[in-house]
Amino acid sequence: MTQTLSILLSVHIIIGVIGIIASYATLLWLFKKNISVRLLKISSITAFVAYITAWITGGYYYVVYYGSNVKPIIKDGPNPWAHSIIMETKEHIFLFLPLLAFVILLTVWFKGNNLQENRPLRNALALVVLITLIISVFMALGGVIISGSARL
Amino acid sequence: MDLHIFLITTHLIGVALGVGGATFGGILYLKALKDGKIDPMEGEWLSIIFTTLRVGLVITVLSGFGFLLEYRMTGQEERLLDPRLWAKLTIIFILVSNALLMQMRKIPMWLGEGLSITSWYGALTLGIIRGADYSYFTFLIFYAIAVFVIIGVLSIIKKLYLGKYFI
Repeated sequence: MTQTLSILLSVHIIIGVIGIIASYATLLWLFKKNISVRLLKISSITAFVAYITAWITGGYYYVVYYGSNVKPIIKDGPNPWAHSIIMETKEHIFLFLPLLAFVILLTVWFKGNNLQENRPLRNALALVVLITLIISVFMALGGVIISGSARL
Repeated sequence: MDLHIFLITTHLIGVALGVGGATFGGILYLKALKDGKIDPMEGEWLSIIFTTLRVGLVITVLSGFGFLLEYRMTGQEERLLDPRLWAKLTIIFILVSNALLMQMRKIPMWLGEGLSITSWYGALTLGIIRGADYSYFTFLIFYAIAVFVIIGVLSIIKKLYLGKYFI
């Protein structure tokens, strides 16, 4: 693997985890007694930027390196399902993340001041954030399994 | 300083803040309950401790994924499927879910507190033990037993200190 690809993979992983932390913070702060719109704006934009960056870096790594170098090793190894199920799922479901994060970002930025009083709006937004969080955690854990299966 | 030492240092700082925060949060909460109410000053101290704990959690998770990246980059990929690592990830998952449920007030305090303390000490134990070749489910059974034991111990401490049971 070239140094550029190593850096891209590192950025993909670390920025992805930062995205998860930002989504988690958004969910946590939505349930504070006094909702801070400023904090929600910071966490939601961090999550959005993180998922976009993870998408671009991961996508580049996948196209340039993974398909021709890592995928054959996994498919010939004892855990071929790590590619055929987990990576295939990751590839498609990941695409939800930037879009969901964008919906959260727009809601916080344009309707943030209504979240304190409008409980149905807050709960609906919390549900979207929770779905985003669950997907992103699955992406991270899936990545650990895929990387672990690349050598066995 | 090489990357490995940097990761170990930051991971230890995160764990120290987390374990320390969970422990002192529990102690201060108990002390605050002595007079039956949490006054503003006690509330402020608890808020600072829980913020410190969350900072510790963020540092621990980030440096933890740094280790996973290091395994991937240095040809130690087999360590990524280690049952001990997956038990630790599961405990961290329980820890963060518990923190969320506590924030939403959807979990009783005695259970949330027991889960938080057991999870922090459990993750710490899994991080330092060597040579424990158990399966993933065996680790989780140990953890579940530890949760019950810690809840029982905390209940006895509360009974002795406050004079009443909380479960």
